[in-house]
Amino acid sequence: MIFSIYIINKAGGLVYNKDYSEGLSKLTSNEYLVLAGTFHGVHAITSKISPVPGSSGIEMLETDTFRIHCFQTLTGTKFLLVADPQQPSIDMTMKKIYEIYSDYTVKNPFQNPEMPIRSEQFDVHLRGQQQQPL
Amino acid sequence: MIYNMYIFDRHCQCIYYHDWHRGHTAKTAFDTHGDPLASHPSGGGGGGSTTTTTTMTDPRQGMNMSLEEEGKLVYGVVYSLRNLVKKLGKNQDGFIAYRTSHYKLHYYETLTGLKFVINSDPNVESLQQALRQIYTQIYVELVVKNPLACASVTSGQVNPETMGAEGFRNGVDRFVRSLTMFDT
Repeated sequence: MIFSIYIINKAGGLVYNKDYSEGLSKLTSNEYLVLAGTFHGVHAITSKISPVPGSSGIEMLETDTFRIHCFQTLTGTKFLLVADPQQPSIDMTMKKIYEIYSDYTVKNPFQNPEMPIRSEQFDVHLRGQQQQPL
Repeated sequence: MIYNMYIFDRHCQCIYYHDWHRGHTAKTAFDTHGDPLASHPSGGGGGGSTTTTTTMTDPRQGMNMSLEEEGKLVYGVVYSLRNLVKKLGKNQDGFIAYRTSHYKLHYYETLTGLKFVINSDPNVESLQQALRQIYTQIYVELVVKNPLACASVTSGQVNPETMGAEGFRNGVDRFVRSLTMFDT
């Protein structure tokens, strides 16, 4: 089960967030922004405090009730996927989301890069992707 | 493979540090320096200058910060992540671990606010139980029940050397080396 999706731009700003199912506490939009900023900072630090050289930032955060998977694109945009610990094939889902993002956001001439994403097409396709079995 | 371990007290001070497989070439250089935490700057005053000098002489390759700075960063990361998880997860504590491409950080917090952190390679299963054992079987036995160690903790100023009484350091070392994932 996918709880929510967040997209963080390369500066640490939250450009998209969507909750798909109950299970996490509801936050105010301000708290979501703080959360995105915190994660962005922590992501940068985790690569610094690696005991072995050459580590990336945080890729998966594990808790009792959920997991946060993070995928960073080459351009620095981060996709955060909050999912059930038992959720299978996260990599596939992540890839699919990135694909949808490229198709309906990056290729959209009316979308300013690094700005919040308001695109109905993007919403619809993301939701459709959640419902179809992999 | 287990890389290193930190213990932080409630006052966000790193009271214990131990490393095992942290850059094989750097390790010998480290040993000649003795306990890395023993080189704590005693005066808070010239903090800026001490950090820059330690950066220059730090034997660890690829790392350009002192152990003290690194401890602060590690504390900051686990503290932020714990709060983030608490916020998202309906006020329940539940942070277990995080993974990057090269390492995995395991976290265990006691009810008294002591934070145990251990780094391993990314393929290791959860070490939270092991950290719990280190707390209950080694820390409680050798530090909490040790009157000398307790005295230094309650006085506010935690001295890593008195706290990490040799017995504790040896106990942790023996325990971690006995784990199946220690060397693999």
